[in-house]
Amino acid sequence: MTKAPAARHRARPRLDGAVLRLGDREIPLLSGALHYWRLPPEHWRDALRQLKALGLPIVETYAPWGVHEVPRTGGEGVDFDFGAKDPRKDLGAFLDLAAEEELLVFLRPGPHINAELTGFGLPSRVLEDPEVQARSPRGNPVVLYFPPRMFAVPSHASEAYREQAGEWYEALAAIVAPRLYPEGPVVLLQVDNELGFFFRSGPYCQDYHDDAVALWHSFLDERHGGLEGVAAAHRRTYGSWAEASPPSSFDASLEGDARAGELVRQTDWAAFAEHLHSGFLRHLRARLGRAGLGGVPTTHNVSIGEGGAPISVPGLAAEVDLVGLDYYHAAREHRAIKRRTLYMAGTVSAPWAPELGVGAPAWFTPLSHHDSLTTAMTACAYGLRGFNLYMAVDRDRWFGAPIDATGRPRAEATDWRRLIAALQETGFHSLQRRVRVALEWPREYQRLTRATHLLGAVSPAILEAAGGSPIDLCRGDALGFEQPIQLAWWEDLARVAEALTAANIPYVYVDSEAPDARFEGYDVIFSPSYELASPRRFERLARLAAAGVHVVFGPRLPHLDETLRPHAHPAPGGAAPTTVRDAMAHALVADWIDRRSLARPYATMPPVETCVHATPDGEDRVLFVMNPGAAREAEIALPRPTVARDVIRGESLSGESTLRVPLDDGACRMFVLEVERRKAPRARRGRS
Amino acid sequence: MISANLRFEGFDATSWTNLVSLFMPGLPDRLRRAPDPSDAPAADLGGRASGSVLVVVDEAGQVLAATHSQRGRIRELGGTTLELGSDAPLVALAARCGAHRVLALREGVMEELAERLALRFRADDTYVAQILETFRAARELEAAGQLRLWPNPLQNVPLPSAQTLGRAVDVLLPDGRAAVMALWDGDLWTALVLRRRHGEIDLVAGPELLTRWTGPLGGDWRRDYRVMVDAVARMVAPVHVGLFAETPTVRGLLREADAGAWAREVAVRNVVMTPMPRAFMAALGADAVRGVGKASARALGGLDVPKLFGSFVPIVREVRARVSHARSVTEILGFDPLAVLGAALRRDGGDVDDGEAGDTPEF
Repeated sequence: MTKAPAARHRARPRLDGAVLRLGDREIPLLSGALHYWRLPPEHWRDALRQLKALGLPIVETYAPWGVHEVPRTGGEGVDFDFGAKDPRKDLGAFLDLAAEEELLVFLRPGPHINAELTGFGLPSRVLEDPEVQARSPRGNPVVLYFPPRMFAVPSHASEAYREQAGEWYEALAAIVAPRLYPEGPVVLLQVDNELGFFFRSGPYCQDYHDDAVALWHSFLDERHGGLEGVAAAHRRTYGSWAEASPPSSFDASLEGDARAGELVRQTDWAAFAEHLHSGFLRHLRARLGRAGLGGVPTTHNVSIGEGGAPISVPGLAAEVDLVGLDYYHAAREHRAIKRRTLYMAGTVSAPWAPELGVGAPAWFTPLSHHDSLTTAMTACAYGLRGFNLYMAVDRDRWFGAPIDATGRPRAEATDWRRLIAALQETGFHSLQRRVRVALEWPREYQRLTRATHLLGAVSPAILEAAGGSPIDLCRGDALGFEQPIQLAWWEDLARVAEALTAANIPYVYVDSEAPDARFEGYDVIFSPSYELASPRRFERLARLAAAGVHVVFGPRLPHLDETLRPHAHPAPGGAAPTTVRDAMAHALVADWIDRRSLARPYATMPPVETCVHATPDGEDRVLFVMNPGAAREAEIALPRPTVARDVIRGESLSGESTLRVPLDDGACRMFVLEVERRKAPRARRGRS
Repeated sequence: MISANLRFEGFDATSWTNLVSLFMPGLPDRLRRAPDPSDAPAADLGGRASGSVLVVVDEAGQVLAATHSQRGRIRELGGTTLELGSDAPLVALAARCGAHRVLALREGVMEELAERLALRFRADDTYVAQILETFRAARELEAAGQLRLWPNPLQNVPLPSAQTLGRAVDVLLPDGRAAVMALWDGDLWTALVLRRRHGEIDLVAGPELLTRWTGPLGGDWRRDYRVMVDAVARMVAPVHVGLFAETPTVRGLLREADAGAWAREVAVRNVVMTPMPRAFMAALGADAVRGVGKASARALGGLDVPKLFGSFVPIVREVRARVSHARSVTEILGFDPLAVLGAALRRDGGDVDDGEAGDTPEF
């Protein structure tokens, strides 16, 4: 076994924002994916070298349970092949080779990995075990329709599944534990993959497994304080826990108190799904530790569609050291890339993409190199601080990686090398985007959106992943409120976001269940509010208002809590609620600008957007200019004479008070900024 | 029919997009579509006809929610009703919403579909069998008035069993054999190699892998194809059928409704088919015969059409006479897959579908 390149630094790895600290070394979270078992071992070294030549300090790989597990020779049960029979499966040799090539390793051992493997990398004997399978309302298996075989997905609540996953970790630990940093190159471990009911995440798809129903009851017990409390919240009579069954449809015919009880039951069910996933992650992380795989930071990745998914990013972030979003976007999905990144920038301490799609699986809508590169730069523009290129090296059931399956760089590798070099050169992981406005993302309303979704297995998360929004197919009735809250919160946030963008004011979204510290440091917080709201959310808003933050809420001051019982919410700052319909959002933003003297750095005209990132001591270092519209030349106001070097094209532009930037349609350009006295000799002057 | 151990490799982003766009002509435009103009809720109705509308109604037909695939949620339909008993209300809705297609579903139908599929699910079924079950269950729900799609390109297409489909594939690509297609647009534009083993497609390979097998090519497609066939035979399996052409030719043929079009292009070697198995030869012959019938009514590019197409007639007669098992795919399936594909492609590309369904070669 080869020692890791940095074995001389004896400290355990730890995460500090978007930086991995290995003793006195600071490693940005920039990695690339290579699937060792899918490549002949003779190509491993070339592929690793080319991955490193992209500028990536870390190689990422899954470890697939279903690939390593093999039937026991001459007997019942299973064994694990880590290279004894098939050299492609020699994980230990691969990790040692990575260390030899001075690469660190980010290992993702599942148990679920997807990776376009049949059965998502889980052994078929596990998937076919009835004790493992998730259950539909009628007790049937829950089938996932992915090629090249549909399969019944496991239940995250199943004790049998949890136990078998733990056994896999123990088998893996024999290879990996001795190679954890500093003895070996493994510096990060991902726990499971893209939690969210395996994309079968409609409100009533799952999980009605006995173990899940037992967890549902314990969840209700804790949430409402015993069976009587549950019955009171649901406005039902429960003689026993068995009667407090999970909902399997939405009864929209109810009126009055019965309807209130139904809504509470439905939103409880939505909240339970989040709780189930967070609990599963906690369980697996503990099993990793018990298997001897503790001691390195843990991560989790959330698939596209998190706005409508049955997970809570803050809930998952509480269970592992780092949570990130996966990005598979076409360049035209500018709005989605922006919204998702701004959500992470506000909600977690280190926005990071565990999977930044470079290419795509064959069964996705094709993505071009332009799509992948534009997505990466747009996400960085709005605050992404690190990423894992997925895939860096091509493989079976994939197209479009910058390095081919024999370890040779493709033409696209040049652009990636330039982008990564610029991120490294500028210390992008430590730069900051000055943001003074936060938009709160109220989780209680998001749950209502999930609960009112009408299209079953084509879930809100899938709609969002397909380019729509999670509200697209929610029922539109008001459910006894003044307006359909399940739609209004999303639309009101979008209106304010639009007005902020038009005014060149940077902002982020903060999930209402993020730690209180995530709400600190803003001048203005906007929080949509209707008849009902979480008391905790409004108490925090009141505290923030008392501390001098300009808190804007509305269109209603809520008078109900989440169980739809009367509750006297404080009006933050004693203010009246605000409406953001139509042009009001623009007037509101204009008021914020006046009231708080909000800066509009590098302002330009819509639809062009700019984002500037500064060093910790305040020097503007990187400017992104994005054009979600047709080709044009953007005029950008400069705070001082500036030279701007395009990191991909290499050309430099300069200006005294204005920078003119030619933009193709859908373009995103990243510039490294220098004040003019330090401009490059070949810089081309702008027209102003 | 699709192996659980399927290997898919050898494409970069461009060659894969090119291949997919061959069968989805509207794809390049969709990929280049401008981003949404605004973060704020978009205007609901009207606009240029594009995309699809998905609408959910309750038992009484009242619209509960509707969305446009490109413009998002449609608010103005709340409270209106939509009958699923015929196409007419869906046609009207498509016009009102500026959409090419409408899928209307009764509330709860997706849950019902999932339960029906779960009951029929067999882990050891092939993916094609699993997909056919999905279609079958959806048709049951359609027949029960629970969902309706307009236009429905498969409306009159009988659903074959997986076994029947397997027999059709036997004609196109027998077990243990490979098929290869390469298209040029100046340079190699895309390529596809398929291999069938143990009854299932287990390899889908792209141009990067193909050119690794061939080594450097000369650059003249009318010569390079031979090298490709040899390389695939050497590296993958004996080649059952090969199709080589310039991209615009094949793109046109896939959307071509005219009888005789395929036979004409093969005859003048704008399309090279080699090897050409007997079933394909018979299909082209039949296509040629139909083309002769139509050619008397119009000129086709100055070619001596009857003479050209007539050359296929003996082939057809010979094949039919000597090969009793040379049943066409159309005979096996009970519908003409190329006709269905052509109609779908014309629709996807925005063309009016006024061709005759039976005018493409019956494979």
